[in-house]
Amino acid sequence: MKLFNVTRYRVPALTTSAILIVIFWAYTLFFAGGFNFGIDFQAGINFTVEVPAASDEQVVRDALGEYNPQVQTAGDKGSQFIIRIADDAENDNFQQTVSKAVSDILEAKFGNVSILSEEYIGSSFASNLATQTIWLTLIALGLILFYIWIRFKLNYAVSAITAVFHDVLLLLGFIGAFQLEFSTATIAAVLTIIGYSLNDTIVIFDRIRENSRIVKDKGFNEVINLSVSQSMSRTLITSLTTLLAVVAILVFASGTIKTFALSLVVGIVVGTYSSIFVASPVLLAWHNRELKKVHNALSHSGKSDSSGSGKTSSGSKSAANVPEPVKQTAEEIAEATERKTKKKKKKKK
Amino acid sequence: MTKMMRTLLILLMVGLGVVFLYPTITWYFFTSQEMKALANGSLPEIRNWAEDEASSTSEEIKRLSQDTEAVSAALPTEFGFLKDAAKTNYRLTNEKMPRDWTLGATLNGFRDFNEVNAAIEDYYRQSILDLKDMKGKILALGLDLSGGLSVVLEPDFTALEEASTEVLSAEDRSAALEAALEVINNRIDTFGVTEPQIRRQLDDSILIDIPGEADPERVNSFLMGRGSLGFFIVDDTGTETIRNYMASGGKIVDRRPIEEGLLAEGLMVLGYYTKDSYGMDQFKGWIVVPETPGLDGSHIREANPGTDSNTLQPIVTFRLDPEGATIFQRLTSENTQKYMAVVLDGKVKANALITETIPGGSVRVTGFNYQEANDLAVVLRTGSLPVQLNIRTLQSVGASLGEDTIQMGIRAILIGIALVFLFMAFWYKGAGLIADIALALNLFLLTALLSSFNFTLTMTSIAGLILTVGMSVDANVIIFERIKEELRLGKGRAAAVETGFKKAFWTIMDAQITTLIAALFLSQLGKGPVQGFAVTLAWGIGCSLFTALFVSRLMFDLGTDGLKRQKISIAWGIK
Repeated sequence: MKLFNVTRYRVPALTTSAILIVIFWAYTLFFAGGFNFGIDFQAGINFTVEVPAASDEQVVRDALGEYNPQVQTAGDKGSQFIIRIADDAENDNFQQTVSKAVSDILEAKFGNVSILSEEYIGSSFASNLATQTIWLTLIALGLILFYIWIRFKLNYAVSAITAVFHDVLLLLGFIGAFQLEFSTATIAAVLTIIGYSLNDTIVIFDRIRENSRIVKDKGFNEVINLSVSQSMSRTLITSLTTLLAVVAILVFASGTIKTFALSLVVGIVVGTYSSIFVASPVLLAWHNRELKKVHNALSHSGKSDSSGSGKTSSGSKSAANVPEPVKQTAEEIAEATERKTKKKKKKKK
Repeated sequence: MTKMMRTLLILLMVGLGVVFLYPTITWYFFTSQEMKALANGSLPEIRNWAEDEASSTSEEIKRLSQDTEAVSAALPTEFGFLKDAAKTNYRLTNEKMPRDWTLGATLNGFRDFNEVNAAIEDYYRQSILDLKDMKGKILALGLDLSGGLSVVLEPDFTALEEASTEVLSAEDRSAALEAALEVINNRIDTFGVTEPQIRRQLDDSILIDIPGEADPERVNSFLMGRGSLGFFIVDDTGTETIRNYMASGGKIVDRRPIEEGLLAEGLMVLGYYTKDSYGMDQFKGWIVVPETPGLDGSHIREANPGTDSNTLQPIVTFRLDPEGATIFQRLTSENTQKYMAVVLDGKVKANALITETIPGGSVRVTGFNYQEANDLAVVLRTGSLPVQLNIRTLQSVGASLGEDTIQMGIRAILIGIALVFLFMAFWYKGAGLIADIALALNLFLLTALLSSFNFTLTMTSIAGLILTVGMSVDANVIIFERIKEELRLGKGRAAAVETGFKKAFWTIMDAQITTLIAALFLSQLGKGPVQGFAVTLAWGIGCSLFTALFVSRLMFDLGTDGLKRQKISIAWGIK
């Protein structure tokens, strides 16, 4: 097994993430004029129309000029268009009026027109959905934090959630900067990525927890590197299989679901990256901070180290006391694990 | 648990899966389009069909019963259902059962031919009703896949509040909403083609799903139109033509017979319905009227429900405005001895002979029940629905677009799954095949579970399904990587598998449970697309835990003990 020294890259990695997030969000907010909200979040009407006589988006846009529509070409024939018109809440029967007007105008101008689908979302629904989703996601994250806290420790939980926030910020930044439509499918994508990234992070954390119990004579830093390296092939293979399935949708589907698949592809890459380069370094940083506290406490009070280091994890104890760790290979560590379990078994008997 | 027990448990799950999937497979692969359309149809539609089928079948049996040879021959298999009905009759009358079920013996089980006829009709009706039942147990297709129209309406009580002098109580609101629901029900039924779903939701909004209907204009027809009432003079020759046409298996589409030229232009065919004793619309026959009414409802000043003092039947008294009174007087004087149809929302509600000229602008009509008479009075008084309804959301998808989406979705899924299968088999060799079997079983169990609770498949839930495929492999990957580590330490097959599974167990549980928390939470509280996605993902995780931890473990163990394998085929480098 190859040993990857991932913690060495923690500073450039975290900086790159931060810069990317800032660039994406700044571009979204100041240049693109915010997110490209779909009608799920912005009251309005959506048509998919087939207009064989229309040459491009612009002619359709011009024909419907008075409604200030957004027009997009859809499908592979080039004669299908997605038309979106916002509901300004001035008209009582917005759906009926606009629906009729659009088909009348298009028919008058282009002759043969077929409306393939129509979707209308009223304003009361749109605002409900947005707030409801944000609350649901935050509560779900809270529950997950609680679960990891119980199964692991608070510092693990916080590091995992930090990585999740990193993923969500980066993914939303990407969606905003590239002006992908923000719809309910986007919510589904973000939620999936939250689950996926946590999944990835937890598998690595699980290994870190396991190793830090066994490996007593190494720094926490190296325990992390070892654990990440041990899980590396699993991380990559799982990401690859999931990507295979998602890329199939991206290539062979069209419409909303294509955007959904694109968000997932980006999310999976970001989620995999963050579980290696974000979650573990945060865990390490937290650990080092605690370590410093212990050091300070030690130098200030001058007491024996046993009283102070009792608070920190086993890994920190070794780092604090053993400045020159014994070099140990992965195989040796695995053997140590084996010895330990055997001992346990004997004890049970 | 012994291997025997484990195998049995898995077989039990597979068996349950087959039971759950049976209706779905029968419906999508072994049911003709015609039968599907009928099962989707409204009850009157089914009744019409059963009657038609029954009449042709009983003609056939009648013909056979004249033929002495056929009577003594065994009952033809296509009439096998008659035997069961005859058996019941024999048992009821305590008669001795015939030894040979010939046609004659079977027919002897019935008192007269009417009873045979009833049994036949019963059989046909039941077959469609069974199919309708089955439809409640299948993996349904969402609107975005099957095409159709879905509207959510929310009531706006402000107009009603302004009109009434008192403050509206909760009961008043509820009653107004119920009345509106009733009116909408009446208006939508006129589509007749497929059965619409009309539901009052928890937050007092009204959800209407009309599968297969993609014209949003239809919504306006039942939302905006005032209770469209009209008095029509019946076209006798046309009615007679249509009656004969329908008896010979004709079809009415958009109020016109399919066969062109049969009916003169400017005429339309409407169904005549009366209320049976259960208050259900009962189809009485087809009636042909001109497209424009002799007198339209706008001339009605008011409608008062009442009771006819002679027959005790509910009646409605219409009072017409002066212009309407003149028109009506002329209409009745010109058409004496003809029938007049009263049509509400496209349904003939009353059809009565005009015996004399009716002057004075007051018309008494029977044929409505009390509820309808009241509704009608309300509708005519307020000029629209009892409560104003606004469209909250509307979605209409053309059937062709839905078809495309399905094709695309199925193709994307198949390709995605195939890629994952190939990759696993390539990367993990023999163990990869085990993972593939586990994955296939996972998908099978998942679809079976979803069909068992009549889950509606939408595009986002298909996405959830695809994601489940990708992620469910993960559990197997974690296990295999652990087994590989153990093998590198020089362990044998059995020991490596044992420790590999053991060490992977909590990693998998922790990883999947966190995802499950999010998925369960969203499936309970989310809405629409988010919910569909979360439900598929949640059950997908459940199934993948079972297949990865239980099924693949058993396959490894069977390989070790059953096939006496010493080595393990799990990677290219490791023997």
